[in-house]
Amino acid sequence: MSGVALSWSDVAALLGAPFAACVVFLGIHAYLGIHVLRRQIIFADLALAQLSALGATVAFALGHLPTSAAGFGYTFSFTTLGALLLALSRPLARRIGQEAFIGILYVVATAVTIMVVDRLPQGAEHVKAMLVGSILTVAPADLRKFVMLYGAIGLFHVLARRPLLALSDGAGGAGVRALVWDFLFYVSFGLAVTSSVAAAGVLLVFCFLIIPAVIGTLFARTIGGQLAIGWGVGTLASALGLAASFALDLPTGAALVVVFAGALALAGLVRYLTGGDAAVRRRHRARLARALAGGTLAVLFASALWLIAQPDADQPLLDALEAATGIGPQPFLSAGERATFADAVRDAARYRGEAERLDRLEQASRYQGEPLDPDDVRKLASYMQSFNEMRRGELFVQAALRARARERARWWVGVPAVALSLAGGALLLRPLPRIGWRGPIPKRIL
Amino acid sequence: MRRAAALALGLWLTLAAGGAPAADRLRILATTPDLRSLAEAVGGDDVACDSLVPPGVDAEAFEPRPTDLVRLRAADLVVRVGLGYDAWLDRLIRQIGEPRFYRGGAADVDASVGIPLLEVVGQGVEPEQGHAHGVANPHYWLDPANADTITALIADAIGRVAPSLAGRAAANRMRFLEALAARIAAWQERLAPDAGAPVIAYHASWPYFARRFRLHVVGLIEPKPGIAPSPAHVAQLIAQARATKVRAVLHEPFEPIDTARLIAERAGARLVVLAPSVGSLPGTGDYVALIDHDVETLAGALAAK
Repeated sequence: MSGVALSWSDVAALLGAPFAACVVFLGIHAYLGIHVLRRQIIFADLALAQLSALGATVAFALGHLPTSAAGFGYTFSFTTLGALLLALSRPLARRIGQEAFIGILYVVATAVTIMVVDRLPQGAEHVKAMLVGSILTVAPADLRKFVMLYGAIGLFHVLARRPLLALSDGAGGAGVRALVWDFLFYVSFGLAVTSSVAAAGVLLVFCFLIIPAVIGTLFARTIGGQLAIGWGVGTLASALGLAASFALDLPTGAALVVVFAGALALAGLVRYLTGGDAAVRRRHRARLARALAGGTLAVLFASALWLIAQPDADQPLLDALEAATGIGPQPFLSAGERATFADAVRDAARYRGEAERLDRLEQASRYQGEPLDPDDVRKLASYMQSFNEMRRGELFVQAALRARARERARWWVGVPAVALSLAGGALLLRPLPRIGWRGPIPKRIL
Repeated sequence: MRRAAALALGLWLTLAAGGAPAADRLRILATTPDLRSLAEAVGGDDVACDSLVPPGVDAEAFEPRPTDLVRLRAADLVVRVGLGYDAWLDRLIRQIGEPRFYRGGAADVDASVGIPLLEVVGQGVEPEQGHAHGVANPHYWLDPANADTITALIADAIGRVAPSLAGRAAANRMRFLEALAARIAAWQERLAPDAGAPVIAYHASWPYFARRFRLHVVGLIEPKPGIAPSPAHVAQLIAQARATKVRAVLHEPFEPIDTARLIAERAGARLVVLAPSVGSLPGTGDYVALIDHDVETLAGALAAK
């Protein structure tokens, strides 16, 4: 794989359409997300998406392709049914909360989908595709459809913004009029979510819907301000997520979600550090510094106690430290043990290399030269198995020596770390100087 | 009362008349449709075969149902792929607790025993990395020459649990293998002009098929099943496909097709949907039809290029 040069046109072609799709999805979802937050129906999108998946599955079971007119008809009918049920459930909100009803709708739709799929040959992959989606393979032709559909939904929301926003703020009144507007809201919401879930998957659509809207509400009060911030941050996060997915070789949807969450965390931090007047900001900065220092000390304290209590269990902090510094367990091993450890590391790599060499040999023989006869293949397989077993043996030796080193590090590392974290904690618990303290935090507090 | 008795008698007669041959026959329960088809070839009219995984369902994502326990308990022989591919069978067997189905028990057939395995990893029976490829690559039935070993194990097991059927099973098997040998020669001849043809596969299902028919699998779209490939991986595959002049992208009906189509389009290769098991595509109703379908489809696609 590594020897092949990548062409930038390939990369651009590969990431251009997904980025455009992200921007298009953000356009409508960030706005709908604001409604969703105000209505407190966070998981309504999942329920509607699952109902539309059920519709597509029923259509498929009756012999219609999901992309056909009949397929769309079924999907849309089920989404409309969901919209109607959600609109009717509004009066429930006062007594038990609408989320309970949304959750029930979701699990029932999922369960029925599973039962229908069970009767279908090759049904599972169809529903999987419906709910997982793949933003990486969005086609430009689909993009055009999304732009048209979301344009129409957006226009409806612009024209009907007064009654819809009033309803979302809980001031829409009751009666048939409110019910109809509510129903129309859910239909438009269902249409947007259904189409985007099929292309981008549930995870990503949820992320487009909620995170930009939350970031917007953190910084602005008006819908316009919230939207502008949500769109801006969302677009930036999408570009960053796609770039990270490419550069770090990560699955695209998952990488985007994590970057969006990172943006939210950063936004929360910025809001905390920049909100209020100068005194409040200063207090927040100090609190944050103390919280960070306290958190670090708590992790150190817990890790040290864990090391003392269970030296041969997993020690995440020590492992990370050893990996980062490249020191390994050597300081706590005798000269002889150190040599054994080095041998085990070298031999494990050698056996792995041998097994891989044999595997390559066998793979090459599949299509070039004389084919191997079955006994040669068996012989190769048994050598490969032996090498893999021997490698496992060497890894076992490494693990045993590491455990022995940990056993010794138990007191030498554990006790000073406990002492250090306790001393740090004591310093941290002293009251902050109140007057004349600006600028960086003194070292002794950190 | 008399009417009820008459009804019961009638019912009993119907059941006895319809059910007698099936009840007499040896019941073989295979995990996959591929093994079921091979068991049918060996057992002929003496056996009633069934598979736990229905045709067209991904065996690696299979979820057993309560009725499967009933079918398992009624079986005389159980045939499994082994190598961790159908590890869920062990849970079912533990649940009904019949020692004859335990590994090495009289009614247990692990069809992978004696197969020249490819991509051997190690000893573990449980799937590694949350994936059903444990000890070695489990898709060995896609090399038709391996039917020899698989049918030998099944014929042995039939002789073990029903000695009176041993002779007929051995004869059936010989007839089947003779016919299959002629087909294998024809299939190899069909794909001989394409020996060494570079292809990309969606999933690591084809090493045995590739070895028999001399294909060069250059890369895999989804190296870890269930996790969507990253854009870097897709871009690498496209570049590699162009550099090695890949002619076909092998796809399986269970997997999402978008990425495979994208790679095929950008690399100028053909997208070929092959059946990884019996019944997963129309026209793959039994074992011979399965291999025939895959060879013909692939040969057609490579010739059109």
